Amino acid sequence: MTGASLQQVRSFGTLLADYRPLPGVADELLDGAGAIRQAWLPLLDHLSRLSPAEMQRRFSRGDQYLRDAGVYFRQYGEGAVAERDWPLSHIPVLIAESEWRTIAAGLAQRADLLEAVVADLYGENRLVAEGHLPASLIATSPEWLRPLVGVRPPSGHFLHFLAFEIGRGPDGTWWVLGDRTQAPSGAGFALENRVATARIFSEVFRQANVHRLAGFFRSFREALMSLRGDDGSRAGILTPGPWNETYYEHAYIARYLGLMLLEGEDLTVENGRLMVRTVAGLQPISVLWRRLDASWADPLDLNETSQLGTPGLVGAIRQGNVAMVNALGAGVLETRALLAFLPRICDALLGARLAMPNIATWWCGQPTELAHVKANAAQMTIAPALSTGLPFESDDMLALGGEVCRDTPDPFECWLDENAAGVVGQEAVTLSTTPVYEGGRLVPRPMSLRIFLARTATGWQAMPGGFARIGGSNDATAIAMRQGGAVADVWVVGEGPVAEDTMLARPSDPYIRNQPAFLPSRSADNLYWLGRYVERTEGIMRLVRAYHGRLAETGDPSVPLIATIARHLECYGVELERGIPTALLQTLSAAVNSASKIRDRFSVDGWMALTDLDKTARRMANTVTAGDDAARAFSILLRKVTGFSGLVHENMYRFTGWRFLTIGRSLERAHAMAGMLAAFADPQAPEGGFDLAIEVGDSTMTHRRRYSVTTTRETVVDLLALDAMNPRSILYQLTVIRDQANLLPAAQVHGQMSALSRAMLKVHTDLALQTPETLDTAELLRIGGEIAALSEGLSADYMS
Amino acid sequence: MLYDIGLKILHEYESPASGGRHLLRLMPADLPGEQRLVAGHLNIEPQPAERREGTDFFGNPTVEIAYRFPHDEIRFEVQARVERLAEAPVLNMSPCLGGLVREIGCVRSLGSEAPIHFTGRSDRVRLNAEMTAFARELVGPDMTVVDAVRAIGTGLHEAMRYDPEATTVETTAEEAFRRRHGVCQDYSHIMIACLRGIGIPAGYVSGFLRTIAPEGQARLEGADAMHAWVRAWCGVETGWIEFDPTNSMFVDTDHIVIARGRDYSDVAPVKGVLRSAGRQSTDHSVDVVPVAVSRKISAA
Repeated sequence: MTGASLQQVRSFGTLLADYRPLPGVADELLDGAGAIRQAWLPLLDHLSRLSPAEMQRRFSRGDQYLRDAGVYFRQYGEGAVAERDWPLSHIPVLIAESEWRTIAAGLAQRADLLEAVVADLYGENRLVAEGHLPASLIATSPEWLRPLVGVRPPSGHFLHFLAFEIGRGPDGTWWVLGDRTQAPSGAGFALENRVATARIFSEVFRQANVHRLAGFFRSFREALMSLRGDDGSRAGILTPGPWNETYYEHAYIARYLGLMLLEGEDLTVENGRLMVRTVAGLQPISVLWRRLDASWADPLDLNETSQLGTPGLVGAIRQGNVAMVNALGAGVLETRALLAFLPRICDALLGARLAMPNIATWWCGQPTELAHVKANAAQMTIAPALSTGLPFESDDMLALGGEVCRDTPDPFECWLDENAAGVVGQEAVTLSTTPVYEGGRLVPRPMSLRIFLARTATGWQAMPGGFARIGGSNDATAIAMRQGGAVADVWVVGEGPVAEDTMLARPSDPYIRNQPAFLPSRSADNLYWLGRYVERTEGIMRLVRAYHGRLAETGDPSVPLIATIARHLECYGVELERGIPTALLQTLSAAVNSASKIRDRFSVDGWMALTDLDKTARRMANTVTAGDDAARAFSILLRKVTGFSGLVHENMYRFTGWRFLTIGRSLERAHAMAGMLAAFADPQAPEGGFDLAIEVGDSTMTHRRRYSVTTTRETVVDLLALDAMNPRSILYQLTVIRDQANLLPAAQVHGQMSALSRAMLKVHTDLALQTPETLDTAELLRIGGEIAALSEGLSADYMS
Repeated sequence: MLYDIGLKILHEYESPASGGRHLLRLMPADLPGEQRLVAGHLNIEPQPAERREGTDFFGNPTVEIAYRFPHDEIRFEVQARVERLAEAPVLNMSPCLGGLVREIGCVRSLGSEAPIHFTGRSDRVRLNAEMTAFARELVGPDMTVVDAVRAIGTGLHEAMRYDPEATTVETTAEEAFRRRHGVCQDYSHIMIACLRGIGIPAGYVSGFLRTIAPEGQARLEGADAMHAWVRAWCGVETGWIEFDPTNSMFVDTDHIVIARGRDYSDVAPVKGVLRSAGRQSTDHSVDVVPVAVSRKISAA
């Protein structure tokens, strides 16, 4: 290789003026001799042509993408959860393809090794019997799951998707810092980093022979599908739910791979088979890519306090009916002390040396090792042996570089003697540095890489890229990464052109009809309530706007009509002292909450419109005052609601989920209208009540056109309850509900209408046969009650 | 000894459960050399939609059942005939306490009898400085492990007050120990914590006691309900021995084993997950009657 010369370094001008790698630390941009690594030249060339202003413009393009896509970083602090902007370091980490091949081969060997170890730990136990592993290390690990002992996975393999945290040491070779076997996260974030970074550097990305990521995901998806067997069952992703810090990623990758996103309560076991509760009844599923830690997966056989699991899941696995990616219990491989034994186990099981070493580790349960750790404590990190945290992620360190970081009852040395079996010493690792853009120049910052491997039809396949963590300071010790910093895309740069790739099947692939998608009952429930809450928000807004508008005119809240509006709003828990009522913000929160649980089924635009509405309302709540100010604020908010509704109802595909959303909206609207007419179209209603109903029902223009008389009780009820052409009328909404419900699964049972379909038809007919004269207040209230009862019926039939 | 055992458990739900799944460990175990299950039958009302027999990690027989229809109670009824074989008297060949660590280390196995599973904390047993100190008071470094088990079991029995009203199935060992009262479950968890605290591997045994004492002997505590006691590992040579701290005695033919594990969580008679909103109540009764041995044997 003809390393770039110093001349070249100078030719990049101010960009590299301050780029000085730390002494004794390897660097990704510059090789050991200080020359620029070949793979970086096109990118550097491109960067040096961009003015700082242009660079910023491009960076914000990438940041904007991430914000729009809703990628955020969830930080758990003391009692509070904060959502921060995604900390993308815009300069990717570049790895030459030749070097990448070595990394991928080393990690594939390690993946095989881990598979052999986990198969032994849940099988023959030769490693313990032959003295390669101390029994106590496994028996005391909370991740070695006794109910899974002796259970062979139906596919023959325990491990299917792995991540490895690796770093480059001072001598330029790569080291494994930790193995992720439980439920590795980051692959979805790596994809998002890629999309953002490719937007920032679109020209150079196209020309620089960067390997694409889609092929990896397509192979992995095919591998998941092939685990299903041929019984018509499905594959899905099992998530702990929206409160998990990486839930966003679960939803994203479910959308990307076209897999159902499931929570434990979506699943049930029937006669040893795993089933999904869907709106079309129980449907078999046999492959779960789980993002849930194993001990929470089944409260019957595992952690009995788990609310996230599925009772009976372990039994279904034991009967060979579920392929888990990865097998329950595979988390034991993350035990930190295992790193001390893997080099020798590799020799014993594979008859070979580790192709890529892991960080040197000493388990203090052995006298020689304990003595070594004590003698070299100043150059070590000392940590709990059974911990599964990565060195720079966990807060459980006992001592760092000779400094004790935890209070112990006895002096640390004595404590160490007492608790030796629970402790490991690990060599303090120094990482390599990679360029980060700061103030118009590149500066070196420490980094580690997370690399993903999937088991495919052709063996282990590494994702040609990865997830880079970038340290926040120029301290290159691995442990300093804990202070947090940034993340970056990883480009594997080929020597020649690379194939463009997408998730879509190639034209040469055989045509496969996708299985029809099933809607899990829980998703249907959330979509239905999203529809209801958004509609309720709109209804409340219209009423509150009408209240403030009239209040602004008269200045007197005791005017009978104004007092009646206030009383009616009390049914919704709305108090009117503040410009934007708290109850309105709560209803909006409920809508956002429902939407957040179905991110995998919801367009990014829809999500943005909803959160924008929520944020605007919250901001206004701090400033808007009662009266005219509030009336104007509500006009703005109402436009935003209609924006959201427009997106949903114009752009959303008419799949079953949309029907639930629509039924929710129509049911809420019909119910609210019945209540409002009962209050304001009653013969005893205060003066102005009829006009108010027409205004809140958004039908002023229509009323004027259809009836050439002043508003009377009859015209109001005719237009807002009985007019089948008016989308604000009760009858119109009941027609929508009836039509949509007839398209739901099981609307007919053995050729006959279901009980729910009958109930819907009955309310609809009841109303259709009325006239304004017969539809008095008592009838309106009765119809309202029947509409509310439909909600219970829907819930019983589809959403539980 | 030959016993006829009857066990009845009734679970009642305030509001009907729409479905549920339960893991049962109710049947006396068949343990070669210790105990023979001559015949056993488990009847469950209402009849579950699923019923499947299995064996858990510790070798205990299990029954997994599931309901898919609403029900407001479940009745479990066990009828079993069990022959409890007299154990050979414990030959104390156990090492002294100081030598036990090395012997534990020598067992290169993860099998269910391996002592290593029974050290340190488990779901319901946490090591606790007070209990460890209590145990240390009762033993010396030169004491053999078997003597240490007896000393701690007896000492605990003296320090504690048997009180069926004082604790529930959810009471922690720490709490029961602090108040020095409880039932067999508390006695056993406390003794396990004491033993593990000083390095003796210890586990939990669920089972039955004979209901009516032999003539002239006092009735044993806990005979009218399911019982629990402790097992301890006393070195490679002696292996496992069992001690009943509630009655301060080594276990013999009066005790019938159902299941063994690290603590109550591993052997809970009925574990379950319900789809139900309300509260539930449990009631159970036990009968353990020796079968008269005067059978007619018409050996011609």
